[in-house]
Amino acid sequence: MLRYALKRFLSLSLSLVAASVVIFFVIEVVPGDPASYMLGLNAQPDTVAALRQELGLEGSAIERYFRWVTGVVQGDFGVSYTYRTPVSELIADRLWVSLPLAVYALTLSTLIAFPAGIVAASRRGSAADTTVMGVTQFGIAVPNFWFAMLLVLLFSITLRWFSAGGFPGWEEGLISGIKALTLPAVALALPQASILARVMRSALLDTLDEDFVRTARAKGLSRSQALWRHALRNAMIPVLTIIGLQFSFLLAGAIIIENVFFLPGLGRLVFQGITQRDLIVVESVVLILVLAIIVVTFLVDLAYAWVDPRLRQRS
Amino acid sequence: MLSAANVNLSVFDTPILRNVAFEIGEGEIFGLIGESGSGKSMTAYTIMGLTPVGSKRSGRIVLDGDNLLDKTEAQMCAIRGGSVGMVFQEPMTALNPVKTIGEQVGETAMIHGAMGRREAAALARGTLDRVGLPADRFPLDRYPHELSGGQRQRVVIAMAIALRPRLLIADEPTTALDVTTQAQIIMLLRQLVSEDGMALMLITHDLGVVADIADHIAIMKDGEVVEAGETVSLFRNMTHPYSRALFEASDHVPDRTSSQATGDTPILEVADVVRDYQLPRTSLFAPPAHFRAVDGVSFTIRRGESLGLVGESGCGKSTLTRAILALEQVQGGTISIDGEPISADAEIAHRARRKMQVVFQDPYGSFNPRHRVERLVAEPFHLLSEKPSAGERRARVEAVLANVGLAAADADKYIHEFSGGQRQRVAIARALIIEPELIILDEAVSALDVSIRAQILDLLADLTARLNISYLFIAHDLSVVRAITDRVLVMKAGQIVEEGPTEQIFKAAQHPYTQALIAATPNIDRALAARSKGAAAG
Amino acid sequence: MSEVEVNRAEANEIWRSALRSRSFVIGAVVTVVFVVAALVSFLWTPYDVTELVIADRFKRPSAGHWFGTDQFGRDIFSMVMVGARTSIAVAVVAVGIGVVAGVPLGLAAAAKRDSLLDEVIMRSNDMIFSFPALLIAILITAVFGPGVVNAIIAIGIFNTPVFARLARGAALSLWTRDFLLAARVAGKGKALISLEHILPNITNLLIVQGTIQFSLGILAEAGLSYVGLGAQPPLPSWGRMLAESQTLISIAPHVAIFPGLAIVLTVLGLNLMGDGLRDILDPRLRRARN
Repeated sequence: MLRYALKRFLSLSLSLVAASVVIFFVIEVVPGDPASYMLGLNAQPDTVAALRQELGLEGSAIERYFRWVTGVVQGDFGVSYTYRTPVSELIADRLWVSLPLAVYALTLSTLIAFPAGIVAASRRGSAADTTVMGVTQFGIAVPNFWFAMLLVLLFSITLRWFSAGGFPGWEEGLISGIKALTLPAVALALPQASILARVMRSALLDTLDEDFVRTARAKGLSRSQALWRHALRNAMIPVLTIIGLQFSFLLAGAIIIENVFFLPGLGRLVFQGITQRDLIVVESVVLILVLAIIVVTFLVDLAYAWVDPRLRQRS
Repeated sequence: MLSAANVNLSVFDTPILRNVAFEIGEGEIFGLIGESGSGKSMTAYTIMGLTPVGSKRSGRIVLDGDNLLDKTEAQMCAIRGGSVGMVFQEPMTALNPVKTIGEQVGETAMIHGAMGRREAAALARGTLDRVGLPADRFPLDRYPHELSGGQRQRVVIAMAIALRPRLLIADEPTTALDVTTQAQIIMLLRQLVSEDGMALMLITHDLGVVADIADHIAIMKDGEVVEAGETVSLFRNMTHPYSRALFEASDHVPDRTSSQATGDTPILEVADVVRDYQLPRTSLFAPPAHFRAVDGVSFTIRRGESLGLVGESGCGKSTLTRAILALEQVQGGTISIDGEPISADAEIAHRARRKMQVVFQDPYGSFNPRHRVERLVAEPFHLLSEKPSAGERRARVEAVLANVGLAAADADKYIHEFSGGQRQRVAIARALIIEPELIILDEAVSALDVSIRAQILDLLADLTARLNISYLFIAHDLSVVRAITDRVLVMKAGQIVEEGPTEQIFKAAQHPYTQALIAATPNIDRALAARSKGAAAG
Repeated sequence: MSEVEVNRAEANEIWRSALRSRSFVIGAVVTVVFVVAALVSFLWTPYDVTELVIADRFKRPSAGHWFGTDQFGRDIFSMVMVGARTSIAVAVVAVGIGVVAGVPLGLAAAAKRDSLLDEVIMRSNDMIFSFPALLIAILITAVFGPGVVNAIIAIGIFNTPVFARLARGAALSLWTRDFLLAARVAGKGKALISLEHILPNITNLLIVQGTIQFSLGILAEAGLSYVGLGAQPPLPSWGRMLAESQTLISIAPHVAIFPGLAIVLTVLGLNLMGDGLRDILDPRLRRARN
């Protein structure tokens, strides 16, 4: 088990290193001179030189990469050119909106998808199954930001149950924070829940066809006992894969959804960074998001081992 | 105790079983025999109430006075695992991979409400001990993937007998296992039957297995019981033509003059061959370990000779085959065909394969489903430096199809239009088309029903008589090897432990492993002889 | 029978089962409608989408303007037609990039299983998987500026590992089959076998995955254009129409409804077609039905 975890950890660390190289290369090497890129065409030479100094652009790309990585490891992402504050502080603030939103959405998606998938699989061909399959077919096709607009139209503009956007900040209390994130989370969760419910259903149906389910039935388990006691845990293997992938979609989706609801999250930060050509901000946010995705992948890998004893060989 | 009468089953209006009738007495072993598609497994599923979606059943299956076909699903759940247990063919997939063996055996008891978790664990322990999985080596928290096929089958048996059912149904319980393991499992079943006084319904395609242990047998064909009776007398006086054909096919020996070997010219020479596999690294720093799959193997095949290579799964015979076919590089020794050494080097391998071809075990996986037979059979022409013209190609494919007993028009068909036996003929045609000196038959008849197997063996014997081809016949089934080879090699753990003329090996094997293999192989005559001796003595 | 005739017989059978599959028929009809709308928009649209008629702004749907008009008085129906062009073009090219780059990589990785090449290909795939298409687009846009080409590249890069993994997985299971061993014994090299035996046997899988990636591409393009990383004015795009309508949603909901519905219907159609294709092309299912 420990060996497996260590192996996955090493492999994912390598992924992270590779990702950091790619991000650094695209942002700081491809544009040629980042300083003059950031300042635009009309910049004075001495302003450019000052920015070069500030950004630490002396030395080869390799030296600069190592300097950057050393800083990042110590929590120093550099200073934002437009905000004039350390990027780490900017990110820390925004992360407390984006991350809870993604986790909230993932929780909702799982809570909706599991029962729906299980019901559909256990009563294959029934009205319940047909309903789940029909609704999820639509759910997959709906773009989450459009769904978010419809939610705003219904719940904020027409019914006035929720505010149409903005975030009061966690210091205003947990309840109001959660309330502000509810519509965004629902908008993110429903399309993902549709995918997850369908994966759950087909994984369960596949597992129900396995020989060991027949063995279980032969020792007297009813159809639903066989599903709960034998099929479900085996079906979790593909379902976990999808949950892991979904987290990255939810984080990316959160960036878009933050735009609909005017939430002060990483998404808003990164788009401001793009329009203001603040490469340091863009680079840091992308790295943080990739890190979050890789950490979740690692957690999913650990969950695999928890579900599947073959992965935690004693040898 | 159990009696079936007029049992009919259809699935989506396709009739599967027709008027099936049989009786199983208290504590009796009942053998149900048939080839694939005969309906023998469906008969078992019908008893268990586990027939597929779309099934319609009629008739009576009476267990202790109650008709099982009238029971509700809930009542059947109480019967399954309670008074009737069942064991399946494929032990590798029959157990839930994510649950321990203790949980799975104990579950039988817990599901039937007989006991709580602790008692169930104790029962699981006791039952696993009974099936030969003692606590010191097989604690309850073992997972299925830590066990071998034979051990897994013991766990499945433990699950089925945990509550001491009155009837145990075993559906081809040993077909997927090696012969020595098969013999042990059959012995275990027999012992459990006598300890518990339970009845056993043993479903098999292998007449040898039932000849040994069944009290009564029934023979099925196309969903009907064609003949049934007390075992010894039924074997002595078979009346139905199908039973007789099956009986004759099951130890069929094709007509062949004992050896066509011309002189001493060796066609294949294998000398001191070693094949090592690198095992996955267990630590970043230690050098990776090696597994020696083939360990210093030497033998020769003469022109026109048929050599058997026998061994159980994992003995290294498949690895050796791949090395001979130059699909893998060996780590030591030499392999030469017709005097030329073989290596995995593309050029050399290309030349070597012009002289040898192969027929694989699985008649379904051996062909690209998207190509027609002409293209499939002509594929080895790729080895020739001068490819035949389209017309010549067609003519040669038709000729070789005729050689294996297929029609010229079959060249235009797709492979799914053929039965298993016909596909194996196509595979032989593909091997023959470039007129090789040697054909390697890798378990080539193992997946076939006995009657088809007999026909393919006849074909092989006929081909070598006409074309003077050499065979390397690789098999786990000794009776087949005996029928078709001149000499036999016995392989165990990567080494050849015994070698000699076939008849001599079978009559007087020297190595204890060979003796064990021969003793474990089911044999109808031997079984019947032993039974009549036993009856006379008793 | 010649090879052509045999293939025609097989094709006929596929067509027959295709017409029996309800989800395929519905999905194909919807898809064809949108493709035709996109093509027709090159020649004709009910109104000129570049013409601003402020007097006609915020018209509700009517006989004159089927989907109503937007804040500049442009005909929304015409804009949806032209928007289909962008969506379909972006998604098709991005799927093409994914197939052309991903499939050979996957086949090569499978042919050289467990080699360094396999390892490198699979690890790079893992890495790309931790970059959702949006992050790739953000990186590209930050440096090169926004544009529809960048959206295509971002979605195309994202598609590559999807096809590479699919091809590798399917090829690996084919490599264990005896018919590939037979082809090697017949002297064929791994590259030739990949081309001649493996590729035709995984085409069905690729087609099904292609329709799925096509629909995901349409969603991705809409999302990117919505946040301003995709199509730029004046190029009409469903995502951008939604972005522009967002602040107007309380005044004129129809401006936001129709482009959204267009996305939903296209994606739904493609998904239904993919489901139907899977049933039709999967020989296991076909055999079970016959």
